[in-house]
Amino acid sequence: MMNLTKQIREQAKKLLEEKKVDLVIGFGQGTELARTTPVFIDSPEGVSALTWGPFCANNLAKYLVDYKNAPGNVAIVVKGCDSRSVIRLLDDNQISRDKIVVIGVPCAGQLEWQKVADEVKPDATLKETVDNGDSFVVKTSTGDHTFNKKDYMLHRCLVCENPNPVIADFTIGEELPVKNYAERFAEVEELEQLGLEEKSAYWDKQFSRCLRCYACRNVCSVCTCELCVFDQMKPMWVSKRTNLSENTVFHITRAFHVAGRCVDCGECDRVCPMDIPIRKLNQKIHKDLKDLFDSPTPGSKEGLLSALGEFSLGDPEEFM
Amino acid sequence: MLKRLLEYVGFEPGRLTARWISASEGAKFASTMDEVTDKIKSLGPNTKMRDEIL
Ligand code: SF4
Ligand code: SF4
Ligand code: SF4
Repeated sequence: MMNLTKQIREQAKKLLEEKKVDLVIGFGQGTELARTTPVFIDSPEGVSALTWGPFCANNLAKYLVDYKNAPGNVAIVVKGCDSRSVIRLLDDNQISRDKIVVIGVPCAGQLEWQKVADEVKPDATLKETVDNGDSFVVKTSTGDHTFNKKDYMLHRCLVCENPNPVIADFTIGEELPVKNYAERFAEVEELEQLGLEEKSAYWDKQFSRCLRCYACRNVCSVCTCELCVFDQMKPMWVSKRTNLSENTVFHITRAFHVAGRCVDCGECDRVCPMDIPIRKLNQKIHKDLKDLFDSPTPGSKEGLLSALGEFSLGDPEEFM
Repeated sequence: MLKRLLEYVGFEPGRLTARWISASEGAKFASTMDEVTDKIKSLGPNTKMRDEIL
């Protein structure tokens, strides 16, 4: 994937040199072999900090909101799922199209860094990563490792809908075929099958662990309210006490606030320090939206209305 | 959608009712209210999200 890294750097350099953009947001090598960190590059000399590979799980789209009122333009590196966020941000009028340049990279999948870190020597340094279709080869200073995608990829990648960005001004490398290793809603269906008390117990166990750190909200590219209900003091819609009851209110409210706009990028789930399977709440809503309204994943096309923000006479009416 | 989500996290079906009633539909309002109170009585007290306020 060295070649792709090189092409991303070249593209970024060109944009900065030609002054088409003032900033490029992309992925840079992190402090650990299997992790990357967001990098913000404002000069052509800085582009060597950019990298690409199977450790670029972060969805960087939310950073665009920080620059919406800044002078100048911003370029951003996106994967397939991240590109849905960019569309959603545009459709929500959070950013303007003429201020951003989208560098789209067809994505071969992202590995769970913890699983990789478990197998690689702690002092190893990364030499190269190679995509072999169903696996990645990670070459390090202490030897090569092969990781099967089926066992090591993030869940969202196992069920990836579009590895190719749905919006891009420049595309890096070749488009990739869609390949799924699991059923998209299998986990939700499994939960739906449980009895009422089992469901309740399952979620109580999850919600009771929540720290209310709000990382899941902060990372979410469709959570863009400047004053969030969970922060507001007057009126205090949701109490700040961290207990099962309030946490349950928080989780149901959060999931419902993004219903119909959530692009299913899975970031909320990935960043949760308590490993709460937040995505299973969002995915339940995705499944219902598909079943009831046959609506496509938000952000998968430009100009889609939010499924819960549009009405048609044919909508099922469970409440009349 | 919200009802489905609530059931998914373990609320009883019927714990929440949402119905569209116009201001001129007094009888529908009354009968809906009767249905809701009967339903809620039959479900018994809600046990979820009931922590004591300190
Ligand atoms: S969901 Fe698809 S586009 Fe997103 S990181 Fe996974 S493979 Fe890449
Ligand atoms: S990231 Fe996890 S622990 Fe933090 S508020 Fe969200 S669910 Fe709770
Ligand atoms: S709710 Fe989670 S999966 Fe949905 S857009 Fe936000 S971060 Fe992504």
